[in-house]
Amino acid sequence: MKQLISLEVNGDVHEIAVEADATLLSVLRDNLELIGTKRGCDSGGCGCCTVHVDGKAMYSCMMYAVSAQGRKITTIEGLGTEERIDPMQEAFVKEGAVQCGYCTCGMIMTAKQLLHDNPHPSEDEIRHGIAGNLCRCTGYHKIVEAIKTAAGNGLPHMKGQ
Amino acid sequence: MALVKLKEFCVPDTPEQVDACVDKYGENALILAGGSFIHGLEARGLLSEVEALIDIRKLGFAGVAATAEGLRIGAMTTFAQLEQAPGLGRAPWLGALKDALTYPPMQIKNAATVGGCLAAACPFFDIPTALLALDCKLSTSKAGSKREMDLADLFSGLFENSLAPGELIAEVKLNKPAGRAASAFIKLEGTANDLAIVNAAAFIAVDGAGQCQSARVTLGGGVGDNAVRSTSAEKVLLGQKLTEELLQRAADAVEQDIQPMADHRASAAYRLAMAKVFTKRALSQALSRLN
Repeated sequence: MKQLISLEVNGDVHEIAVEADATLLSVLRDNLELIGTKRGCDSGGCGCCTVHVDGKAMYSCMMYAVSAQGRKITTIEGLGTEERIDPMQEAFVKEGAVQCGYCTCGMIMTAKQLLHDNPHPSEDEIRHGIAGNLCRCTGYHKIVEAIKTAAGNGLPHMKGQ
Repeated sequence: MALVKLKEFCVPDTPEQVDACVDKYGENALILAGGSFIHGLEARGLLSEVEALIDIRKLGFAGVAATAEGLRIGAMTTFAQLEQAPGLGRAPWLGALKDALTYPPMQIKNAATVGGCLAAACPFFDIPTALLALDCKLSTSKAGSKREMDLADLFSGLFENSLAPGELIAEVKLNKPAGRAASAFIKLEGTANDLAIVNAAAFIAVDGAGQCQSARVTLGGGVGDNAVRSTSAEKVLLGQKLTEELLQRAADAVEQDIQPMADHRASAAYRLAMAKVFTKRALSQALSRLN
């Protein structure tokens, strides 16, 4: 059974007919073709699908699209501008914090909230902060370095708050 | 998600609309709070009959208030909101709750709610173990009527609670203990984003002479159908001076009150052994906070 919903994603409002039990993740990827947000475990364990909902990092596979109505959703495509990628993305590029890249978008969305809440985290705080995101390539070292670099550079305010 | 019989997804603005949906679908209506465990229920085959989801986030029930009596937590308060609430403060008696809130990853803290976490009646969760160690009461609401219950009375079986259809947890109340009191919680987990293999919480209060006036020892993580209170461990502590040797005897006594299960996370024997180890650590941590 489909329901008509209105979703605000990256500042754009979309009217979409979705299955009542469709997740936010499936609507982002399959209806809106915002495929930066990745489907990993699809059960709240890997963090690949992390997006911001009203400025908070959330697993989009765990949220129903119907429940996301009336909230501001930001995906990886909503970071940065046409002219310049987000400073967190720049830090990941600079530190080589990407191998296969599958976890990267979720990792960046989580790291954005981490630094928003705590602009100068210790290494322990960074590792604890990204505990909800798995990376099977890098061993996390370069990701942690990238977040430290971003923290050192300062970050613009989070979107969607 | 595969809710094969789902007919309606309601996002009511008022309690009356909740009731209307519950009246229509009865036991096949499922209340949705933070939504962070619905996959867990689905994976266990518990959602195959669900015909209606009712997302209650517009009903309020959020916020944290510190009062003279203790702490009042709106049931829809997320773990992140609770962790950041000034009311949580540094009071040693709330130590178990503060400890338990440090474990979940950011994304779960932003989604999961205190009331949803309790109503799920999941034996592997952390917050129920921590709250059961405190003097925790719930107020519930249904069609304008309210009632109060002890947290222990909410749990009625594996993933089963004692709420009537459409009855919602509105508030969680933690009564501040008299005298010197402290609590602690500790969890054994396989990874930083997994359910507990075993968890344990301890609350202790002592009189002026340092003798134990009151104690609550609780465990979770697959040692019973729900979070379990170990009165056998508590009996060892009551009226006694709290020495490390006594805490160890209390921890060993939890064996009489728990029924560890075997699953892909751990064998029953390992859970039993770790239940004692982690109870001892929770007790020692609580004791250290008294001083």
